[in-house]
This record gives sequence, structure tokens and C-alpha cells, in this order.
Amino acid sequence: MTLLDFARGPALEWSLMIMVAGSLWRLVGAFMVRRTADLSEPRSHSTVAGGLRTVFTRMWPRKEFRSETLFGVVAGYAMHIGLAIVVFLFTPHILFIDSLLGVSWPGVSNDFVMFAGAITVAAMVALLIRRLTTPLLKAISGADDYISWAVTMLPVLTGMMAYAHIGGPYQTVLAVHILTVELMFIWFPFGKLFHAVLWIPSRAQLGAAMQRRGVKA
Amino acid sequence: MTDDKTLGERLRERGVSRRGFMKFCAATASMMALPTSMIPRVAAALEQARRPSVIWLSFQECTGCTESLTRSHAPTIEGLIFDHISLDYHHTLQAASGDAAEHAREAAMKQNHGEYLLVVDGSIPLKDDGIYSTIAGITNLAMLKDVAAGAAAIISVGTCAAYGGLPKANPNPTGAASVSEIIDDKPIVNVPGCPPIPTVITGVLAHFLTFGRLPELDALNRPKVFFGQTIHDRCYRRPFYERGKFAETFDDKGAREGWCLFKLGCKGPTTYNACATAKWNEGTSFPIEAGHGCIGCSEPGFWDKGGFYEALSKGTYGSAEGIALAAGAGVAIGAAAAMGSRARQAQADRKEEK
Amino acid sequence: MNRLDAIPIQVEDVGLPHRTENLQPLMQQVEQALHELVEHGAETVIDLSSMPFSEQDEKDLRARLGAGEVNASVMAFGPTLVQESAFPGVWLVEHQNAEQRRLTLQLVVARVPEILMTPPDDLPDSLAALRRANAESFDTPGKDVR
Repeated sequence: MTLLDFARGPALEWSLMIMVAGSLWRLVGAFMVRRTADLSEPRSHSTVAGGLRTVFTRMWPRKEFRSETLFGVVAGYAMHIGLAIVVFLFTPHILFIDSLLGVSWPGVSNDFVMFAGAITVAAMVALLIRRLTTPLLKAISGADDYISWAVTMLPVLTGMMAYAHIGGPYQTVLAVHILTVELMFIWFPFGKLFHAVLWIPSRAQLGAAMQRRGVKA
Repeated sequence: MTDDKTLGERLRERGVSRRGFMKFCAATASMMALPTSMIPRVAAALEQARRPSVIWLSFQECTGCTESLTRSHAPTIEGLIFDHISLDYHHTLQAASGDAAEHAREAAMKQNHGEYLLVVDGSIPLKDDGIYSTIAGITNLAMLKDVAAGAAAIISVGTCAAYGGLPKANPNPTGAASVSEIIDDKPIVNVPGCPPIPTVITGVLAHFLTFGRLPELDALNRPKVFFGQTIHDRCYRRPFYERGKFAETFDDKGAREGWCLFKLGCKGPTTYNACATAKWNEGTSFPIEAGHGCIGCSEPGFWDKGGFYEALSKGTYGSAEGIALAAGAGVAIGAAAAMGSRARQAQADRKEEK
Repeated sequence: MNRLDAIPIQVEDVGLPHRTENLQPLMQQVEQALHELVEHGAETVIDLSSMPFSEQDEKDLRARLGAGEVNASVMAFGPTLVQESAFPGVWLVEHQNAEQRRLTLQLVVARVPEILMTPPDDLPDSLAALRRANAESFDTPGKDVR
């Protein structure tokens, strides 16, 4: 079995199983855990609407914090949008998702995807440098942050290398790309990378609780 | 048997003039992807080329490789080169049969010991001492080892001889193996393909006749000059791939307009061969140009790489059951963990109340 | 009765010409080769079969080169078509096999492509053959020697 066969076969099967098992474990566990009861009088009952609003209000920093956080927010958006374009609008990726979930949609031209990929890599490098050189950020950063950064960076980098045919024979670089994606799948449910799923319920929970107390968050 | 005429002399005997010979050399140099400045050198070498003794052993194969080489009506480059080599044994093509044929082979081996070229097509079954393919009562395995011992070099023609091919496909009932898996003490050139492009087979022979040695090989022992690039890298439909224009089915608008066949399972990106440049039937066309994706026939194990119509970006594992099981396990563990947490908290509450 | 020609075939002309973008660099190469011929008498042969070069590129090339004064065909091992372009010294040589299938297409920059010149080794044989033919025709006057 070649490395590519392994990456497309057993490695894919096992990494997906681990990702699904871990994600459901974490989600079900988090939702079923007992929450401290809010014993105050509810000032509003539209907690669902409140929760939903908070999901959106947090998408842009409040005026007071903007100057401090703007770089991180802009670079962060550049990275996330670029990554979304690369992952969800590159035709071979769409075909992969189709083979797993049975849904597909039109893609964009390969040149545009490569451009988005380059933006993603640049933004991620900029954000890492910021994390390492800002004393406060460096002090609070741990293994989880760096691992999550690495398992996201490696697929984008190796994917672009495979596409450009650099770094070795195409089959090998392609196999390495697929294996780094599988590494990300395995890490996904267990570290900060899971924010990809948790950001919505997390913001909504805060919003709902605040709404109940009559605070627009 | 071998005689001492050179290739140049044999061509003139067949009525090929010196101009015709120059044309032949220009076409041969082009086929070997040599620069035009080398044409005089090719001409000089081929003019003087003696007939190498060649023993062609056909093992567990469909004969497609031999057919690929010999199906031509008019004199072609391939035909002339093929005619020039002294084909001392080829059990499909030769006139002799039975004992006479085997004696001819043994005599050629003895007379040219250490100098003959061994060409193999077909895989070699290993299971049950190799009884699943025999010639004149001799197993392929035994014959290969016997003939390889006195060969100068071995050319494995076709994916079966080079990598095991179709007989080796899952579950490989005969224990089919490639030549390289059995012989490890002779130079081996793999010329894979199912079948290989005829010009590629004769290009290797022409290279041998011109330079007296085998061409430069890649990591899978394939001549780099023919197998150095993927189909995808030289495909004329590449601009469509780049622009994201893919045919979705075999008769839709995209297919009719010649768009990229990636979604229909084309294995071009991971297949190394000369189909996109040399093409087939003397440059007529190749599978993608005819509207069907590349099946990767020059790569090892191409029968077992997922379906021919499944895109390369799809996984090859089997079951959705595994994922469903994992999902169930995840829910169960999460629920159990949460229940455990709730139970502990309830217990702590009861303790506090006391 | 089932016959292959009873299957309706519709050829769709998409009208999308496929170009490899190799024509411009090729023309630069020809210009350089012609310069070499003028300055140093050096001949150049460019093998168009060994580079990415589409049918449309070939059409464009022939349009650019135009036709000159010389149009020749050589019958040796199949036909070879030789055409001088509108630029003297720049020739298109198409080698075909006996079934008129193309073997190679070459751009030759020279005073004359080599295939048109008589191979020097043929000359002594030619002289011997002509001597024989003349001798025979003198021996039998009036006999139709063809």
C-alpha cells in the first residue's frame, strides 16, 4: 500500500471516526452538564432572540476596544475567509465533501483559490508573529494555541505545495497533504480548534443569559 | 538467429533510401524526445547498429502488449525497429512451435549468453509453486529465472510485467508478481501501460540501439523521457481544470465542449505516461481526447485505487457504518460523562444540605 | 439491421480554439535562428512535434509564415511535404509515413532543408547506374530504354 493509498483509505476512515466521536462526546457532554440556575426575576423572556443577536454582535469589536483589537480582527477575518474559500470552493475539495455527505455546490477557478490560500498563509504567519511578540499574548499562550495553529497551517501549506508541484513527487506531497488534514481531524474536537463548532452555542448561551437579565449583549 | 547486417543495411534491403533513412532517424529522434542536433548522431549509431538478440517471454498476460506493437499496416518506425531486432523467441509471433521453439530459445540463450535482451510481458504467478501459468510444462517462474540469468538487461513491457497488473488485483488468486519482485541482480527497465504506447516500447529499444545502454530511469524504474511527467501536466484540457470547468456526466454540455474530466474520475494528476504528448495510433488521440478520463494504467495497482469513475479527491475506504458507530460512541461517552458530572454535583448538594 | 453508421452522430463545433501560447516564443526562436543563418551560416531545425503545440497553433503559424516560392514533395518512406514560407530561409517540413500519417513537423531555418539535397553517398551509386543505363542504350540503338 502506498502512502497515498493509506492516506485515502484507512487513515481517512479512522481520523473521521475519531473526529465524529470526539465532537459528539464534547457537544453532548457540554449540553447535558448541569447549569447553575438563574434565581433572579426574568426581565425578558425572548432569550432565544437574545442569544441569536449576540452571535452577530460579537462579529465586530465594540468602539471602545476597536483600536486595541483591530489588527487581530482584520487578520483573523482574512485568515478565516481565505480558509473558507480554499476548503469549500476548490472543486476537488467539493468532490471530497460530496463523497462523504452527498452534497455539492459550484466551485471557483483554481487561480482564485491559490490567491485565497496565499492570503490565508500570510494572515496566519502575521498572527503567529503577533502572538509571539506581544508580551501579554505570549504569556497566556500555551501548547493548545500552537498545536491548533500548526494543524491548520500544515494542510493549507502542503495543499498549495501539492498544487504547485513543489517539495517532491506529486503523489507523495498529495499524500502528506491528506495526512495533515487527517491530523487536523483528529485534533479538532479536543483543543481550542473546536471553537469552529462552539462559537455559536457559546455566544448564544451568553446572549440568552444576558437577555433574561434585560441586558442587550 | 542473429546475422551480422546493420540496421542501415537492412533498411536499404527493404527499399528504404538514404533520404528515407534520414527521415526515419528524424522521426526516431523526435520519438525519443532528443534535440534535433542529435539527429546526425542517431543516424550514425543506427546505421551501424547490429542486431541484438532478443528473447521475448509472454507470461500471465492478455497479449495486448504484443498486439500494441505489431498492429500496423504500413512500414512504421516501430515496425522497422521491431523487425531489426533479432527476435529469437516469441511464442505468440514465431513460426516454430512445441519442442522446436524451446530448442530455438535455448540455442539463442547459449549463443548470446550475457548479451541478449530479455523482454517480458505478463505477470508471474507465484502461488502453489507457480503452476497457474506454464509454457511447455515449465512454470513462468522457473523460465524467468533461467532466462534472466544470461540476459544483459530485462525490459518489463506492460503494467503486468512491471508491477503485477490486472492479475495482481484484489484478491490476487494466483499470487501474481512483477519481474522486479523476482529478479534483483539484473538491470530492469519498466515500460508500464495497459498496454504501453507502441512508440514508447520501441523508443526504449531505439535508445538501446543508438546509445548501447538503457535510458535514464525514475524511482519506479521507468524511462524518465517518457514517464517523467503526469498526464495532467501535459493535458490539453488543463485550461478547463484551471478555470473550474468540469464535465459532470458523459453527455452533458461540458463533456461535449471538451471540459476537464476530473469529476468523472480522471486519474491524470497521479499518472505518469506519455499519452498526452505521444498519443496513440500514431498520434491520433488518447483517452481524454476521446472523452474518457485517464484510468492510470501505467501506475502500480491501478485496478485497486478506488473506482475509475470516482474522482481522485474521494476517499477509498468502505463503510459509513464505522462513522455511525463512532457517532454512537461519541454520544454515549458524552452523555455518560455529563451524567457522571450531574451525579457528582447532586451528591455534593446533598452533602451541603446536611 | 444494426449498423454503426445508423447511429446518429452530431458533431458540436464549440468554436473554442485551443492555443498553447507557444507561438510567440517560437517566432522569437525562428527570428534568432534566421539571424544566426545570416551572420554565421548556422542552420537550425526545430521539432514542433516535441513541444506543446496545438492544431490551432499550427494554423496560426502557417498563417504567419505564409507561402513562398518553393513547394516540394519528397517520396521516401512515405511523403515529405516541404514548403518555403514567405520569409526565404524559413521552411516547414512535414514528414509523413506511407499511410500519410504525420511522423514529425519541423521548422527548418536554412538555405535548403537537408531532405531536399541528394545524400552524398548516393552520388557514386547514381553515377554507376547512369553509366550502365547509357551503355545499354548505346548498345541497342532505337530500342526504347526506359
